[in-house]
Amino acid sequence: MTIPMKTQQAMSSRDQEQEQSGPPRPESVVSVQQVYKSFGTIQALQGLSFDVAAGELLALLGPNGSGKTTAISLLLGHRRPDKGIVRLLDQDPRQTAVRRLIGSTPQQTVFPSTLKVREILRLVQAHYPTPYAIQEMLTRFELVDLANRQVGGLSGGQKRKLALALAFIGRPRIIFLDEPTVGLDIEARHVLWREIRTYKASGGTVLLTTHYLEEIEQLASRVVIMHKGQVIGGGSVEAIKARIGLKQLRLVADTLPDAPEITRIEREGDTYTLYTTDADAVVRSLVKQDIHFRNLEISPLSLEKAFLQITGEAK
Amino acid sequence: MKLVLSYLQAETIQLLRIPYVVIMSLASPGLFFLILGLPNAKDAASANVVMASYAMFAVLGIVIFQFGVNIAEDRVSPWEEYLRSLPVTPQTRFISRICMALLFALGAACIIIILGLLFSSARFALNLWLPFIIVLLLGGIPFALLGITIGYWFPLKAALPVTNLLYFLLAYAGGLWFPPQYLPAFVANISSYLPTRQYGEIVWGVVQGRPWSVWPWLWLLVYTLFFGILAIGGYRRDEGQRYR
Repeated sequence: MTIPMKTQQAMSSRDQEQEQSGPPRPESVVSVQQVYKSFGTIQALQGLSFDVAAGELLALLGPNGSGKTTAISLLLGHRRPDKGIVRLLDQDPRQTAVRRLIGSTPQQTVFPSTLKVREILRLVQAHYPTPYAIQEMLTRFELVDLANRQVGGLSGGQKRKLALALAFIGRPRIIFLDEPTVGLDIEARHVLWREIRTYKASGGTVLLTTHYLEEIEQLASRVVIMHKGQVIGGGSVEAIKARIGLKQLRLVADTLPDAPEITRIEREGDTYTLYTTDADAVVRSLVKQDIHFRNLEISPLSLEKAFLQITGEAK
Repeated sequence: MKLVLSYLQAETIQLLRIPYVVIMSLASPGLFFLILGLPNAKDAASANVVMASYAMFAVLGIVIFQFGVNIAEDRVSPWEEYLRSLPVTPQTRFISRICMALLFALGAACIIIILGLLFSSARFALNLWLPFIIVLLLGGIPFALLGITIGYWFPLKAALPVTNLLYFLLAYAGGLWFPPQYLPAFVANISSYLPTRQYGEIVWGVVQGRPWSVWPWLWLLVYTLFFGILAIGGYRRDEGQRYR
């Protein structure tokens, strides 16, 4: 089932009004329209279209290889689309001027290992007209004790925090975060969430890709789901949660279990895996039907599996 | 301009934090000068030529490595990819690279000059110093372009040995280690077609107060255009591969 684009946009603007009683039609600060991009024989993007309104936090979801990273690299001006239009604040992202208004993190956290934390912040800060003070960034991202350490000696999590601070330092209007919490411990993740909320409250726009459902619940105002280089759905966080909030029931039974709530069944010998949005109802139904099952396990579906479920629907 | 300084500062810090690299690249031409150069500096005139030759050797090493190996490194560095998303033009990066190379080339040349003044009878007339430094650095341009060419056309693993090989071959066959008349016949035959030899002719001409000749300049200009075209081609090809 694909939510048609029209409905999706209608939904998003409604969310917007509810959330921030702002102008009725928020200006779109990020615009991707019918974008195609291929690398050799690989079609990374095939007619990708979405918009991000000012002050919105849009989460880009999709399984690995769905084109999220390619989309972000086009928006950062690293590459140009084969076909279609990519605009940031109505300008070509390859223009230096518009890049003064955006912030991003390094894709892999590899820094020149001999530079100190403070020196890296200073170098990146020098690119922006009205950046934050270095001391302030050190405090906000809990890097004060590390300021004079060479980056080569930092742990992975500490490097990630530095990488994130770089996205914010230039006081940008739009921030791009590609899998921002991968490799962060829980504490650092909360620091980032706090910063993103503060940034959003001050009117900033965020486009983020993530694998964590929790992160989306905490932060996103809207979700766009990508698959094979296209948007296959999207909407408010509640709508998405309802769709990917599937439960998985594993059980051993002699006969094929059946219930109206089951959306899909997989079988391996006498072990069945059932997918459903209402696990309780399924169990009740199986008991009522007097089906002899054993070794029942109920678990929430991982986001990765949920993607497969949704992308399966899209075929 | 402020950004050029920021990059210059960051890159200098990075270099100085690994003193081994700096010392090696500044000291090794000095070592060559003391071992190979000094025996040929018999009187003031020959000492001047030898000192000038090794100053060129030092400049050659800095520019060819600074551009060749660094560019090959940057092409595979995710940090460089990130820097590309910042509001900075390629020109700014390029200018800071050139300033960096000039600074270090000057430093390397100064070491040779100091050693030359201390350990040989090399002495320039006062009015020769400025033209000497100018042609010394100006003549480095085609080799910077050669370095860029290597950096863009070769993968990192190949760039280092290729740069090393070209560096030593060009220096030797161009007559920077030994005066060209001491080169074996077959090397002497190709010597006069090499960019290092033309670079040498210009700088030796200045040092010896020879009358100005247009030929080595023309040769070097042709090499500059040739390496320039290869460098731009390499840059475009690389952009095309990575940033389509």
